[in-house]
Order: sequence, then C-alpha cells, then structure tokens
Amino acid sequence: MAPETADVVAATAPTSYVPEMAEVAADSPEAMWDLLAERGLGDGLPVVPPTATRVEAVLEHAAGDPDEVLFTLQPRSGIVTRRVVAVNAVMAGCPPETFPVVLTALRALARPEVNLRGVNATTHLVAPMVIVHGEVVGRAGFNAGVGAFGPGNRANASVGRAVRLVMLHVAGALPGSGDAATFGQPAKYTFCAAENLEATPWESYPLSRGVDAASAVTVHCGEGPHNVHDAEADGDPVLILDKIASAMTSLGQNNAPISQAEYFIVLGPEHAASIAERALTRRDVSSYLFDTARLPASTFRRHFQELAWARWMKMVDDDHMLPMTGEPDNIRVLVSGGPGKHSLVVPSWGMTRSVTLPLEA
Amino acid sequence: MTTLVYLPDSAPGPEPAILAPSPTSLAGLRIAVLDNGKPNADVVMTAAAEALAARTGATVTLITPKGPHGLSANAAIPMADDRFELVCAEADIVITGAADCGSCTAYSVVDAITLEKAGKPTVVAETLSRSFGAPDTRLLVLPHPIGGTDAATLGEWAEAATDRLISLFTEPA
Repeated sequence: MAPETADVVAATAPTSYVPEMAEVAADSPEAMWDLLAERGLGDGLPVVPPTATRVEAVLEHAAGDPDEVLFTLQPRSGIVTRRVVAVNAVMAGCPPETFPVVLTALRALARPEVNLRGVNATTHLVAPMVIVHGEVVGRAGFNAGVGAFGPGNRANASVGRAVRLVMLHVAGALPGSGDAATFGQPAKYTFCAAENLEATPWESYPLSRGVDAASAVTVHCGEGPHNVHDAEADGDPVLILDKIASAMTSLGQNNAPISQAEYFIVLGPEHAASIAERALTRRDVSSYLFDTARLPASTFRRHFQELAWARWMKMVDDDHMLPMTGEPDNIRVLVSGGPGKHSLVVPSWGMTRSVTLPLEA
Repeated sequence: MTTLVYLPDSAPGPEPAILAPSPTSLAGLRIAVLDNGKPNADVVMTAAAEALAARTGATVTLITPKGPHGLSANAAIPMADDRFELVCAEADIVITGAADCGSCTAYSVVDAITLEKAGKPTVVAETLSRSFGAPDTRLLVLPHPIGGTDAATLGEWAEAATDRLISLFTEPA
C-alpha cells in the first residue's frame, strides 16, 4: 500500500543521477550564502563549498558507483547517491573518513520502519539520533567519552550535521513545507555520538540487536536527551533505575499514547558499572524499567483520545498500572559518555522504529 | 575568482500520481469518509459528506477509521490495506483527513494519492495548507483548529464548504 515501497520506486526511478553544478563568486563560506539563499537551503550556519576536488576526496571512502541511485528520502522523494551524500558531507565539514557513517545512517533512515515521511513532516520536534559503533569510532575520530553528545568533536558534530543537511536538501525537510515542527530543536542541527564500548559491561549494542559487524550505525528518531542525575554514594541500581523510570514516565512524551515507541537509555559509564557490579544484565535493566515506569490506565485514557496501543493494553481495568511502552524490548540500553553520575533518556517520536545497520560505504 | 560547486539538493524521484478523472455530476455516487482519528475529524468530515449528499443526490455509504478493521486510526501512518479495499468496493468518491498537523497531513496526502491511483477522486480536509510533493491534490481548507471546536460550529464550517467540495470533485483534474 505504501507508495514508496521499493518495487514502485524501482519501476519509475532513474538508476543513475549526477547532481548539477553552479558557479559561486569565490571558494568561500561567504560566497555560499548567496547560493543557499537563492535556493532556500542550508541549516543557517556557514558551509564548506562542495567543489569537485573536495567531493572527490570524500568519495575516496565510498565503496561503489558514486552516481548509482541508492534510494529516495521522504517526504520529497529526493534521490540519494554516494555523490549527493558526499556533497552534503563536505558542506557539513565532515572528515572524509566519516563518509561511510553518514551514508549508513541515511540507509537506516530510508528503511520503511523508520517512517521518515512522518518523522520529517510532523509538528513534533523529532530529530534522528545517530549512534556510531565499533572500530570506525577510533579510526575516524568519533568521541564516545566526555561530552560525547557535543560540542567539541569534529566527527560527531559534522556527521550529525551532514545527516541534517541531507534531510533539508534531499528529503525536503525544510521548515514550513516538508518539516512542520512547531518549535524545532537544537538536536535538529546535529545529533550524533559514539557508543563507549570500553565502558560497556555487556556485549556491544549492535551485537545485542543481532548485528555482528566490525562497525555499525544506529538511528533512533525521537526527542533530545533528558538527563538523569543519581550521585548516591552506594551506586544502588534501584535508585539509578528508579530515577530513569521517573524521567520516562511523562504524559508529554509520545511514548505515552503509542505503545510501539522505544526509549533509548544511554547509561553513563559509572551508572553502567554500578548496575553491572550487581550482576544485572542489559535485559534486566529493560525489564526493571518496563515494570517501574508505569501510570494507571485511567490516566492514559483521560489524557489521550487517540491511543495507538497494543490490543492487550486496551483490555485492562482503569486502575491497572500500565507500562510506558508495550514491551521490555522497546527499552534500548547502551553506554556512552565520560566520568560522572549521569545517564540519559531519549524518548521516541512514536510511529517509528530504530534501525541498526552494519557500516556500508 | 569564481568557483564551481555541486548543488546539494538532488532531484526529486518519481513524479506524484496523476489524479483520477473527475465525475461531471455527483448524483447517485457513493461517498466514503476515511477518518484518520484526529480529534473531531469524523465529526466535521461526516457533516461535510452529509451536506454534500443532500445538495447533490450522492449518498454517504461508508464512514470508517483508517486503521486495520476500522477499529482504530493512527494519523501518522498510511491507511490499512483492508480499509483501502473496503473504500474501493463501497465508494466512488472519498473525503479523508483531518490534516491539521505535519505527519497527518503528509499521510492523508499519501492516502489520497493511493485512492486517486485506484480511480477514486479524494478530497483531503486540512487546516494547514501543506501538500508537499503533490501540488495537485484536492485540498479542502477548513478553519483551524478542528480539535477543540464544538460540533455546531464544525457543522457550520462543513455546510459552508459544500460549494468548494463540489468543485473539487467535479472540476477536471
């Protein structure tokens, strides 16, 4: 039924595409302002001019035909090729070796379960969060430690920005036409961090999702991060996880009326260590939060005329304590960041699912 | 010295669908209301369909939420396959919406394109004029907001929209 299914695109779309070139007054960020203004493009910040030389340097890190049409991005059905991605990566200031991460993030966002048409078009402030995993983190200079969500690291900052520029330029998520977000938000400029594998007491996040690859990328479309501070001396997992559950239990989050929505719980290394020292697994963390982050069914019913819930959740009595999401597996746990007694909750937009893919250039 | 740079906004992919042929008269036609579940969407669209029927001699034959089996509706995803089949079987023209936010507008337009492809002229009832990627969609612009407005006022809006609805359905696409 969905018109953007692969077979429909394949039947009507070109298989090869080369972006046009235009003349600007000089090889400078200042000269690019005119071009961006004329075409209604850009994120409001200066960009690097995407000359053929710079784009070719990025394409050194591509593993296929630069002009092959790979997929389209909604709502504009904009064509994605490796060269189109490289152009936007140059503009964002990406180190060339991060190109495969940008492309893999976009491959993930093009998957139907992400529902990118909705993600980009909604009045909600949803932004794609990009998490980088594996050997590419060290090789391409991503930050998984102190200040992982920024600012200060070129790879994290520019890769998140490149994804946003492709949303604006290719997917057509321009404020007021393809993006109706009431407010927008800072995470719509850039939203990228790396998994801190050294500080992860369990298997890597991709492996926990069945993705066994040297490097991988996860995308999750949701709100900006909500901080959870628990500095109690004992590092008691109950106190840490109850505070996280408290941050999850909000009627303002779209997780409340949409039971398929996921939460990403980004544990700081110290919280992760405190939890693992008590022999708790990643699955234990999800199960505990599923059991603890709850509200009475009557509260949900009073607040939401639209309840996109699993059928079983609609069958319970008003006084039943219902979870904030339909199943424990929707509570996704990974480790990032540096020292400090903090963790993050990243709620979902709702009608979207996260995707983890092996790195593919 | 001038410099050549690549343009970052690649071309759009497949063209939007062409609209279904418009009927010359609505007399005797069957109208479906495809409800996306937004607050009061069913109220205002049913009132508009009934006003249209009373004026033209058409009949309202189907009012259904767009989710599977018509048991639910979520505005941020396409209509369920079984609703598409039901609308195709039981109606000649369709009113859908209400498109009063970003993602619901996008998906009401997607639903309309799908129905137009199947030969069913479809009007999207919307309050925020955003027909991204489908400039030819039949759009009925209503006052904002539909949610939170009382039924009597919605009925007045629906009645006042009848002339516009007739022209959206009958003027050549």
